[in-house]
Formats: sequence, C-alpha cells, structure tokens
Amino acid sequence: MDDRPNLSRSRLAFDQGELAYDFGPEHPMKPQRLIALMDLLKTSELWKPDDKQCQLPIRAATIEELKLIHSEVYITAVQLLSVPEEIDAFRNEIETETTHIIMRELAEQYGFGEGDTPALPGMHDVSALITGGTLVALSAVMGLPEGGTFDSEDERPLHVFHPAGGLHHAQAERASGFCVYNDVSVAIARLLEEREAKVLYIDFDAHHGDGVQRSFYDDPRVMTISLHETGRYLFPGTGDVLEVGDGLGRGYSANIPLEPFTEDDSYIEAMNSLLPPLVISFAPDVIISNHGCDTHAWDPLTHLELTLSGIRAQMRLAHQLAHSYCEGRWVAVGGGGYDAYRVVPRAWSMLWAEISDQTLPEHLPEEWVQRWRPLWLKEAELEEEVQVALGKAPGVASFPTTFLDRREDFPAQSRRTTITRSNSRTVAFLRQLLLPSTVRKAFPSTQRISPMAGIFDLLHIRGSQTPSRIKTIESPAGPLLLRDFCPPSLVERLVPDSGLHAFARLPEREHQLLLNLAKSPDCALALAHTPEGEIVAQVTLAPGDDWWDGFENVYEVTIEVSSNWRRMGIAHKILDFALELDALEDMILFAMGLSWHWDTDNLKISVHRYRELIARLFGSQSFEEFATTEPDISMEPGNILLVRVGKNVDQLVVKRFLDRLLSTPHLARW
Amino acid sequence: MIVSEIMITHLVTVTPDDSLSHAANLLRQHQFHHLPVVKPTHGLKPQGQQYTTHSSWPALEGLVTSHDIDLAATLGAENSHTNDQHPWQERRVAEVMNRSIMRVTPTTSVAAAAQMLVEQGLNCLPVVEYEEALNTEPGEQHDEHVFLVGLLTRSDLLIEFARTLGAFEPGMNLHIPLHTGNPTSLAKMLLLAAELHIKIESIIVAPPKKGVPHAATVRIGTINPAPLLVRLQQAGIPYSFADFQFEGGTHG
Repeated sequence: MDDRPNLSRSRLAFDQGELAYDFGPEHPMKPQRLIALMDLLKTSELWKPDDKQCQLPIRAATIEELKLIHSEVYITAVQLLSVPEEIDAFRNEIETETTHIIMRELAEQYGFGEGDTPALPGMHDVSALITGGTLVALSAVMGLPEGGTFDSEDERPLHVFHPAGGLHHAQAERASGFCVYNDVSVAIARLLEEREAKVLYIDFDAHHGDGVQRSFYDDPRVMTISLHETGRYLFPGTGDVLEVGDGLGRGYSANIPLEPFTEDDSYIEAMNSLLPPLVISFAPDVIISNHGCDTHAWDPLTHLELTLSGIRAQMRLAHQLAHSYCEGRWVAVGGGGYDAYRVVPRAWSMLWAEISDQTLPEHLPEEWVQRWRPLWLKEAELEEEVQVALGKAPGVASFPTTFLDRREDFPAQSRRTTITRSNSRTVAFLRQLLLPSTVRKAFPSTQRISPMAGIFDLLHIRGSQTPSRIKTIESPAGPLLLRDFCPPSLVERLVPDSGLHAFARLPEREHQLLLNLAKSPDCALALAHTPEGEIVAQVTLAPGDDWWDGFENVYEVTIEVSSNWRRMGIAHKILDFALELDALEDMILFAMGLSWHWDTDNLKISVHRYRELIARLFGSQSFEEFATTEPDISMEPGNILLVRVGKNVDQLVVKRFLDRLLSTPHLARW
Repeated sequence: MIVSEIMITHLVTVTPDDSLSHAANLLRQHQFHHLPVVKPTHGLKPQGQQYTTHSSWPALEGLVTSHDIDLAATLGAENSHTNDQHPWQERRVAEVMNRSIMRVTPTTSVAAAAQMLVEQGLNCLPVVEYEEALNTEPGEQHDEHVFLVGLLTRSDLLIEFARTLGAFEPGMNLHIPLHTGNPTSLAKMLLLAAELHIKIESIIVAPPKKGVPHAATVRIGTINPAPLLVRLQQAGIPYSFADFQFEGGTHG
C-alpha cells in the first residue's frame, strides 16, 4: 500500500445489507448496479475487500436520528408497511382483506404507490441502514464519535464514498422518486445537532435534489447546490433558478436547471462558472456531493447526455473544492443512475479512484466484462426502445470495454448551439442572483481581454505614473501603507486582518479573492496595510459586469475596510488615493452599495444610516446617487448606486449610460 | 371551482376609526397591500382572527389599500406647510378607504372572479355574504347587511393556478396532442397510466389558441416515464416530452 500514500484516508462505506434496497426486477433502481460496481472495484484492484484500511463499517440509523428529518408518523408508517401483510394479519388477528385495504391506504398516503416507490417488506431496515451509512460517513469525516474511533488523527478518514446513499427525493412525510429516508438530510441534521458547522451539499444527479433542499431551505448553515435537467418536463419539476432559499436561508439554495440534451461542454462550462464562486462565498467546513450518474447519455430516465468525461469533471471539481476550501473533508454518495451495467459501475469506480488518488486503468478487466455483458444483452433491446421513446438518438448497442467513453459513440446533438446559449443565459442570471459582485469579478465567466495591454495602461493614458505607488498615512492605530496596482506577488506576501470578511465571510477566503483580483488583468487593486503586512482595507477598480456590457470606460469601484479598523477615516483616505488616476475624468465610475454586505450589526447602526455613510464617503469624490433598475440594486430599498461621470466623457456615452441605468433587465430568462 | 375553495379566511382587519399609521403598520408587518375595513364589534377582537362561524362575521365597511395610504402621505407632505390638516399618520381610515362595491360571494365561480379582477383592474376582492336586515318595516327601503367572510387576491388565484397545474407535487409533464380536439389519445394514455400504476397529478386541456395546437398537458407523478413512453409508442399515440415529439402512427 506504500505506493498509495493517501489511500488510508479514503474509505468506502458499503454493507451487503444495503443490497436489500430492491424494488423488484422490473424496477430501474436495481441492486445489481452496486453488485456490478463492487465487482468492478475488486477485479480492477482499485479496492481490496480484505483491506480494512479502505473500508468504513456502518450501522443503521436509529429512530431518534431519523426523527431529525422525518415525522414520527411517517417513520411508523414505513415500519408498518415493512412487515409482510400476512404476518401482520396473523399477528393482529384481522382478516387479510381488511389489512390489505388499510395497508393500501397507508401506502398511498405516504407516497408508496405501486409505481415509483412500492412498499416492500423490510424497507425500513434497509433504508435505515443506508441512512446510517451516510451518517457514519459524515460523522467520521467531521470527527464525531459516531464515525468510529481511530488510532490517530492521521488515520481519520478524509474522504468517504457511500455508493448506496444519495436518496435525495425523500421528504419529511413522504417517500418520493425511489427514496424512503433522506440519508443526506439526516446525516447533516445529526452533525448540526452535535456542533456548529457549515455544510455544502452539491447534487450532480440529473434530477433536482428536492428533498435535501427542502430540509434546509431556511437554514443558512447548509448550502444546497443542485445541477439538474430543467423541471419543465422532468421529475420532480422543482429546482427553478428562483428557488434560492427562504428567511435566514435566503441565498443558501442554488439551482442550476439545464436544458435537455445539454452535453459535456455546456455542462462543464455552467458548473465551472458557478460552483467555485458559490463555494468560496459560502466557506463550508465539509462538502457532501451526490454523484447520481443518470446524467449519462445512456441513462433511460433523463436527457442531459453527458459522457464519462463530463461526469469525471464533476468528481474532479468536487475533490478540488474539498481540498481548497474544506481541508479535504468530503463525503461522496451515489444517488441515481439507471444504466446498471454500462454506466453505474464505471462512473462510481472512477469516483472511487478519484477519491483515493489512484490512476484509472484504461481498459475494463476482461473478466468483469465477460460476467456482466450477458446481463446487459438481455435488456439491450428494451433499452434501445426506451432511448427512442425518450426522444434520444439510439445509442450504440455495445458494451463498453474501457473506463472512459469513446467520443465517436456520442454524436453531437442537433440543437447544440441553441441549448448552449440557453444554458449560458441561465448561468448569467444565476451569477447575478447569487454572487456578490466582487466574487463575480474574481471568477469571471469569460476571460475578457482588455483592448489595451492592461488596466494599468488604460488608467494611465498619459503615462505619467510609476506602477504601484506607495504612500504612508497616519491612523489612530498607527501608520498604514497605501499601495495601488498591487501585483499578485505583493498580495501573496501580505495577510488579511481578522476583520476583513465582508465579501467572502472569512479572512482567508477574502485573501484568496484579493489574490484573484490582483491576478486579473482587468482589475486594479489598491490596498492599505500595516507595516507588519496586515491588509486592513482595499479598493478595487474593475470593469462593470454583464449589466454594463457595451461600455469600455465604465468601471466599478468596491471598497472594504476591516471591521477592526473602522471610524478612523481610512475609507476616505484609501478611496482618495485609489482614484488619483490620470484617466479619472475620462471614465465613468460607479459604486454599488448592497445592504446585505453591510456590517450594520457590528457598527450598531441602521441600514439607512449606513446608506448615508456610503453616500457621504463617495460623495467626497463627487459621486452622486442615481436611481436604477440594475437587478442587484433594485432588490432592496436600502441598496444604493453612486456614479461619478468624468468631465471629459463624451456626451453621447453619458446619455447611453444614463439610459442603461433605467433599462429593462435584459437578462431574459428563456 | 368556486371562490370559497381558494379565498383567505384568516383576516387582518381595521375599523373606520383606526389611524392611517396603524393601518400602514399592519400592511408593513404582514406585507399586505389591502386591508378590509369592518364595523367595530363589541369587545376587542384579536388580529388575524379566523371568522368561522356565522355569528362572528364582521360587517364590511370598505377596503383600504397601500395605494390609498401612499396617496394620503404624499398629499399630506405636499400640503404640510400650507394648511392646518392633521399629519397623514393621524388621519382616520374612513377618510381614505373606498367603499368597495366590487365584491364576490363564496359561491361565485373562480372564473368570474378572475374576470372581474382583470377587467376592473383590481388586485383584491372582498368575499361577502348578504343578509337581509330583520328589523326593517314593510314598505321601508330594502336594507341588507353585508358580512365579510374572506378575501380573494390575485396571488391566491395564481397560487391556485400553479397548484392546479400540479406544480406542488413531484412529477413530470407530458403533452398529448389532440387531433381536432378528439380526446381518444388522451383517454388511451390515461388507461395505460392506470395500468402501469402511474399517478396523475393534473390534466389540463385548454381550448386551442392561435398558433398553439390543441393538446393536453398531463402531469404524471413518476420519476420513471420510460415504461409509459414505450407503451405510447407501441400504441402509436403521439406525445411530446422534453423537446422531443413523437408524431404517432402505428407500428406494432
């Protein structure tokens, strides 16, 4: 095992008992998919059944734990429905017919029709076991006693994969979409009961993760992000972009509905332009990701049309995000995936390889293919029929021999351009809706290239300044150095003050944000730092975002002062310093005051008082307040837009700019 | 569908003698735009009272909207330096409320109420019951009491619309084109759904509109549409699902 250094910190949670989650041979969610997965893991030697170092023993969730999410009556109903009718009738000495009717009614009431989620003998036990699996996995990663004891902290698992988990449709009082108990919700609720933590749930399943979203819809400690095929047609129908959370949890639910027939490229683009900025602005302690592989083109239930390259991009991103922002704490669960032989085993073996840092072999083991291909062959004809009925191009009727898909098996969709554009619009809208503008700038969706060499030249058209000026000012708390056009190398050497967290909520992340801004060729970053190298304030100049598209000399100014350094006049000084620009009178500058970033609690003043403070601060640089329909500003009455129009700006441009201020939001949704 | 099925009966009311500042506070606190004005009753009624029994229905006086109050506030501010009128906050509800002649009863059809809201440009209708006064002398002018039993707003209608579409139940949408309005294919589809134990959340068959062919939208409560779709193809029943259109025709 020495050649795999991190393997011992990655574990697979699987119990034979979980295979009893079986709704019958006709049902799309077959336990065979897990058997085929475990077989592939063993035959490809990615996972050794006798190596305890890569296993995590699990136990069933208790009734008390289930009650954290599910109602008591529902749990009782599931238990009643789990007992075979004959036994029940015998035990209670009532007629079988009567029991049958009662049971049918009970089943209907709690979502167990005969269709998607039929009531099955023993389903309480197996559902509780699966729920317990995810609970143990999360507890182990977070260091709770439920997760087991380990010889040393170094042996505590960092990543756990629980393939049977991810029953994300189950609701508090109802079974739905093949899901009885919501394992992820219960695991998170258990963690939050034990300690304060910020939990990020990312749902890659092709269906909206409605159950988990609903469990924490008003809870700011849990952010749920779901990427899924739009609910316009597909089950469960929810997951619209405007579902962003409620009450305190507003902004902590994110939904990325994608068009049917999206395919890899558009999917990856949407994922990459939303996930990292959402994660940095939430600053989670742990990530739980649902890797439902029903996004694959061969899946018989959905139309996202991904290949395993797209699916691997999800896993890599989740892994990378866990290491960048959560010190590696990551629990992955299975979820959906209904091509039981061709897709699920390959996708989730790939996930295990990613989790345990192993290189994936190119070819599937011959032995495994021999074993499972005949099973697929039996259903191949029906599968083709289903593909046609769903409106998909009939796939290649062959069994894969490699882990990755062959490009040529997946011809381009005919409406690719339209679909890609439609998805980009959704993403643009979501970025407006969910990301603070500073975060948006630090993670540009498209790399815009300035027409000139860089922002420095743009702002110094007369070429009179030296790069990165330094100025020393005195403050009541000691001297401060002001620097403009800070290069990344400088930002790297400095550290953020503990009170610098207005945009990314934690100083370390704010530092990351500043670094990204410094690296961006389009942004100018001015900093105030102590001689010891602590950043206490920053001013950023950046081109306006999508709303201001079409203006070349319109720049947004953002300012932030550490909460420990307020009321010392630093804001005025750094703003004055940052705006000493040659090109000042040739530019239109604007600043957006968004009340949700204001630290009104700390300053103990009202939103309206804060608004006045900001107006006065920018007023000192001849900014004036303007009314606007800009979506962020118009969202709350406390928000404010301040604009400074340079004296030399062309009157036509000014007029166009003023028109833009009051234009109808042009980010049409669809 | 009739009004009583969707109206709100959990009401926050004011009396004609309440001050505008009180009304404005209620509007802000509950994020409402309308407050029914009722005749004061004996004793204090808790706010947000649910009027369930006949004897507890209050008599309707009128309706006061946030718009009425805005107007009073604006005019009050403009005239503040010239006349001796009270500041707007101290004025009475009775001064600015409207008598709200447009009303519906619990048995009015929802369609009629919707039409009324749209045609009259209203956002809210009081739902009332009429009762003839017992003490009127014969020959005297016909007198009747108007009791407030509920309120119907545009939002109630929209929520009901979404609910009717099945939006609050997990499920997926399927379109069944109806050739010249013939419901046979819809009927066949429903039979297949019943056979496959698929729950129907809602069915909408709207009259054809210009450019929109006659079709039924069926919301089915399943995550797994494949078995139904395969059967539809086998039976040659046309349908569309997720931008894909199966034109029908029989094969098999």
